Amino acid sequence: MKKIIRKEEPIAKEQLIRLLLTLQEDATTAIGKSAEPIDQLRLTWLGKESEFGRLASYMKTIPQEDKQQIGAVLNGVKRAIEQTLSSQLTVNSSQKTQHEDWFDTTIPGDLPPQGHLHIVTQAIEEITTIFNKIGFTRVRHPEVDSDYYAFEALNMPLNHPARDEWETFFIDSQKIQVKNNILSKLVLTPHTSNGQVREMEKGKLPIRMINIAKCYRRQSDISHVPMFHQFEGMYIDKNVSIGHLKGFIDYFVKQFFGPDRKSRLRPFHFQFTEPSFEVDISCGICNGRGCRFCKEGWLELAGSGMIHPNVLKYGGIDPNNYSGFAIGWGVERTYMMKSGTQLDDIRLIYGNDIRFLKQF
Amino acid sequence: MNILVPDSWLREYLKTDATPKQIKEYLSLCGPSVERSNFIKDETVYDIEITSNRPDAMSVMGIAREASVILPRFGIKAELQINQLTNLPINKSNKLKLHITTDSKLNPRWTSVIFDSVKIKPSPSWLTKRLELVGVRSLNNVIDITNYLMHAYGQPAHIFDYDKITNGIMKLRASKKGETLTTLDGKIHTLPGEDIVIEDGSGKLVDLCGIMGGENSAITDKTTRIILFLQTYDPVQIRKTSMALAHHTEASGLFEKGLDPELVMPVFLEGIQLIQKLASGNIASSIIDIYPHPFIASTVVVSRTKIDSYIGTHLETKEIKEILTNLGCTTTVDNTKVAVQPPSYRQDIAIDVDIIEELARISGYHTIKDKLPDSEPPAIFEDPILGWEQKLKNKLCDWGYTETYTYSMISKELLDTFNINNQEVYEITNPISTDWVYMRPTLLPSMLLAVKQNMPYENDLKLFELSMIYAYRENNLPQEQSTLIIAVSGSRYGKLKGIAEAIFSLFGISFPTITDPATDYYQQGRSLRLGNFGQLGEIDGALLSKLGINKPITILELSVDQLVKHARLKKQYTPIPKNPASYEDLAFVVSDKTYVAPMMASLKTIDPLITDVSLFDSFNTIRTFHITYQSDTKNLTAEDISKVREKIIKHMKKEFNATLKTV
Repeated sequence: MKKIIRKEEPIAKEQLIRLLLTLQEDATTAIGKSAEPIDQLRLTWLGKESEFGRLASYMKTIPQEDKQQIGAVLNGVKRAIEQTLSSQLTVNSSQKTQHEDWFDTTIPGDLPPQGHLHIVTQAIEEITTIFNKIGFTRVRHPEVDSDYYAFEALNMPLNHPARDEWETFFIDSQKIQVKNNILSKLVLTPHTSNGQVREMEKGKLPIRMINIAKCYRRQSDISHVPMFHQFEGMYIDKNVSIGHLKGFIDYFVKQFFGPDRKSRLRPFHFQFTEPSFEVDISCGICNGRGCRFCKEGWLELAGSGMIHPNVLKYGGIDPNNYSGFAIGWGVERTYMMKSGTQLDDIRLIYGNDIRFLKQF
Repeated sequence: MNILVPDSWLREYLKTDATPKQIKEYLSLCGPSVERSNFIKDETVYDIEITSNRPDAMSVMGIAREASVILPRFGIKAELQINQLTNLPINKSNKLKLHITTDSKLNPRWTSVIFDSVKIKPSPSWLTKRLELVGVRSLNNVIDITNYLMHAYGQPAHIFDYDKITNGIMKLRASKKGETLTTLDGKIHTLPGEDIVIEDGSGKLVDLCGIMGGENSAITDKTTRIILFLQTYDPVQIRKTSMALAHHTEASGLFEKGLDPELVMPVFLEGIQLIQKLASGNIASSIIDIYPHPFIASTVVVSRTKIDSYIGTHLETKEIKEILTNLGCTTTVDNTKVAVQPPSYRQDIAIDVDIIEELARISGYHTIKDKLPDSEPPAIFEDPILGWEQKLKNKLCDWGYTETYTYSMISKELLDTFNINNQEVYEITNPISTDWVYMRPTLLPSMLLAVKQNMPYENDLKLFELSMIYAYRENNLPQEQSTLIIAVSGSRYGKLKGIAEAIFSLFGISFPTITDPATDYYQQGRSLRLGNFGQLGEIDGALLSKLGINKPITILELSVDQLVKHARLKKQYTPIPKNPASYEDLAFVVSDKTYVAPMMASLKTIDPLITDVSLFDSFNTIRTFHITYQSDTKNLTAEDISKVREKIIKHMKKEFNATLKTV
């Protein structure tokens, strides 16, 4: 690209310096891109007829007291252009490159900007990718939700003892005038399972869902935080079996934790699945032999089960034609189990101390 | 709920060669999870988690019953040994009387008997040792017997001092709101009403049924006449009372799960025997058993195809029959269906999938083959916002920013500092800390706190967070809006303006040209509102000092929802120009307070030969623009450009009163 040169009147000192510096920039860029012979380039950029020549000629018009300063800039610009020209020479030469000067190759490099993604973001990205490959699509459902989706539609009517297992935060609903029953009571969802019936209500089958969202429980100690993340897998189709759930878990465990890890189901009870299972993963530290970090070689990973017929009905799905599984994990816990971070206090994850965040 | 089961006690009911290790492993795989085993006083004590639907397994006997079905599946002999006490000879007497009124809805079964010449004394060592192993402190022979029965069979029992029940009258009823009662542990309760209580002949309440006995009817060292008392109660009401009074006991934990009324009599009979044996009590009344609606077995049916579909493999008739029969169910199996009458203690088996669970777990989840979903996957698309969020986060990380996750809840104090009307914020009614009470309607307070927290550690903070804000909607759930906030320390408007421009360009959205200032949280002269997309600028000094921050902070807030909504990602190809471009720098002298963005936007529209305009320099009142000229059709001559330049100069004079600076 060619710079247009205009005839100009006498020039101010600042303006001249700016123009010189611009010229230096232009020249070094242009020389770098050019394939012309060096002599030609030197003529173009430093010759009498060049922009440099023209600017140099202003020297005459500069007041005496500024001459020294302008002179220094002129020389600097000229030197920079010469240097670029000579580096060009080296590159264009057919000679093998030889350096006379000693050069310190151990000098620290210029680092690109170093940002840090939070470990929860890193975990969510990895999890999402793993499940995408087997056709499970990520969704997100409300964090502040009605009691209906968080409990009732999950086969846990009001006052059901199973609700005790969730240390639920309630939202003051007095500000919210009751319009319909579903919104009469609001909670901070204590699990991602509030997305189950919401997803079914979209009305499309089959369903292969991964729901990842913030959840909240009234707890705060070294292994619990009041806000955390869960991810929930749900598969509904004809003839979905416990075998599918096992395959799904095994796929995730091997992808996320490594091909040597094993998983198993143990009987459990949840109101919204029947049968229900706890999912264990073999301990990565002792490889299943049993150590102080695990229970006899196993670590608890997730809760899961075959979706209860009542929950399917709440979602408008006929349990005689369709079946499905659901499984939920904690993102933080899963990440900590994999990474070997040896984090001994989960609250650090949400402590936002930059000295912590920059470690990941 | 976790229970402790000593190995020797278990083996009293379970004849087996299984080692403790085998018991632990196989129970966990097919039944209740043995979370750990402790070795106490030369013996293994299993710590077992029992799920809330299985009160039948919350006892040593219950575990023995489960183990007797599970262990043989692993080739280990195991047989259940039950003491049948039903035919225990009982010496009836009519010396003492109880006048009982009860209510079969609140109290489906009532059993009681009075003993006299009872000697209250320490228990024998076999009993104290057993109780100790399950974590119960021995008190005296009579109390220990009730605890023993509860841990052995899962049926709570209670003992009253007969002489403290006025006129031998016991009237079980629903409480009235505001009645008071002091329980054995000395706690005074004001009852919420509808609680199950027993009133005696003097009108005082002597029992908070299913939870704890009254202090006024408790036995002491001097007690000689006692009532042994075993019941079942309405589980829903027990739970309500226990929750309302925040009074949870082992007994209430069992009763609220719904106990087997058929279990009452055998345990009652064993209790009678133990009191006779360990407290030399003599039966001094008739045996009372009020049980107006005895248990009737119901039938649950499941189709064979459903069983096979759930398990993913075919289960043989013989195996189905064997598993269910061993579990105590009366079972008939044909080619199409399985009909089951569960025993009285397995009322959790109520629908078809409950039967499938029993079959699957006993035959072993570990025997089921892993399969990946093999049907046609659904044709749906991920919500684009999720991908965009990830992309934005990755960009910011690459640009050198560090991501924070602050809590979604903020304090009342912060709400006030930011002048947010708490009527339009979702409030938690049972917060765990005053720091976490309101669902935040903006990310700014949390981010400023994160900045403040980290200021001592770094001068050049560059933080961001991408989270929901909870916007108030009348009569509705909040609108959860995906929002990005970026903070840098110092007065660095240009830095975040650049980030904003880069993000807008990423979404293909042209940068808003309006010049309105941001909200009051920002310095009015140093901030910019970005339409519905957000705002940026330096935070107001007064607000910062209220938060205890003594350095300038620059913030960019963007609504990810809005960005995604307006994203234009079509990139249309334009042919690469054949003719070289030319450029020049034109400096204009502008009057004070002239915004530069409108000038640049306007410059681009002057002539089609102007293909690009950038700000080359800004110095005092001089704005130097770098202008690129290019034509699709020809090599531009000095003359061509000169014409355009004249237009520019005229235009700038007319629109912005700017004059070309000549050098």
